[in-house]
Amino acid sequence: MVTSLLSSDDLRQARALVEESGLSYEPPCDDLVGIFLSRRLVAVGARRGRVLKMLAVAQGHQGGSLLDEVVTELVGRGFQEGIDSFFIFTAPGQATSFERLNFNLLASTGKSALLEYGDGLRRYLARHQPQMRPGVSGAVVANCNPFTLGHRYLIEQAAASVEHLYLFVVREEKSLFPFDCRFRMVGEGTCHLGNVTLLDTSCYAVSSVTFPTYFLKEGDPGGEIQMELDLLLFAGRIAPHFHIATRFVGSEPLCRTTAAYNAAMHRLLPPLGVEVRELQRKERLGAAISASRVRELLFRGEIEGVAELVPESTLEFLLSGEGRKIWDKGERR
Amino acid sequence: MKIMKKVQAGTLQSSDLMVFLEPAETLTVTIESTVLKQFGELIRAKVDQVLARHGVETGAIRITDRGALDYAIEARLETALSRATEV
Repeated sequence: MVTSLLSSDDLRQARALVEESGLSYEPPCDDLVGIFLSRRLVAVGARRGRVLKMLAVAQGHQGGSLLDEVVTELVGRGFQEGIDSFFIFTAPGQATSFERLNFNLLASTGKSALLEYGDGLRRYLARHQPQMRPGVSGAVVANCNPFTLGHRYLIEQAAASVEHLYLFVVREEKSLFPFDCRFRMVGEGTCHLGNVTLLDTSCYAVSSVTFPTYFLKEGDPGGEIQMELDLLLFAGRIAPHFHIATRFVGSEPLCRTTAAYNAAMHRLLPPLGVEVRELQRKERLGAAISASRVRELLFRGEIEGVAELVPESTLEFLLSGEGRKIWDKGERR
Repeated sequence: MKIMKKVQAGTLQSSDLMVFLEPAETLTVTIESTVLKQFGELIRAKVDQVLARHGVETGAIRITDRGALDYAIEARLETALSRATEV
């Protein structure tokens, strides 16, 4: 029977089993479960949000149904929490053992594979079917936290050079401005462009699943591999679906994580048929316009400075009651 | 019978299936199976038959199957349906 692992002895055994299996024991988890045989932990698994991790079965107990039971329990509990699609990162050699459980391989590098259970990617693509436009298109993926003149410049330049532009706004709620507000700001700031379609990325691009370090903004050895999976998923599954031939990106002089992401984009996307065009960032007052600079100015209450860097529609939102509530609390995120 | 809430039944073990039901405006059935090529049609027919018997006309039905026999499919789906309509 699968049970929650709660006591300190449970946790000690869980750590031992996970590390014995060559994985790293990485709390925090939303669920940590396992199976005991004669009071010894023989299988373990955990869930953090949509990601299943630390799945391990003791030597001598492999080949049976223990892994299936653990994954069933984690999926069932996650579903109760409202999650309907689950991800696993594993070694490419292990991918088939999860494919047997009806996990689908989303992307694979030499070092790591990303699989999904729940058919979420197909449902995501199907959901956006009505917004698809015929012909060869371009794409921009952006967080827009908040939407700046820099974003608008990049999107205008990109839209002018393709028939149609898909603008993917990062869905993940890890930024100062909630997705709804960002999506609205982008919509208002780009409504003068007739050939731009707004979409959300769901968890399939720049999300805490595919690219967690984007939100941490610090060095992490696992980050590079996941960044590669993010891009391979885009080039392998998303771009072909929307007939995206070009991905546009702003040059990144400021943030190391984003600069590394851009470099990986140049390396990985062209061989898979997606051209990468890096556009020079728009400057104002001697420095590249960036959303982080806007947030910095907001926190210092320098509204005139903000007004220099964002379009009128964004400024209006920032100064509205709803907008103020987000940034005017002296808190930093 | 109307699917009133999100429910799940079954397991990911071999010879079993997992059924997920959700309220929706229209009826959609998606089936993933390790034996989809060989038995996809039969699984679909069994699912349609159970849904028809219960008069289920709307809802999102997702099934992931690992080679369950037809009566297992029926039992799991029936279980999920009665959970989905519990008050």
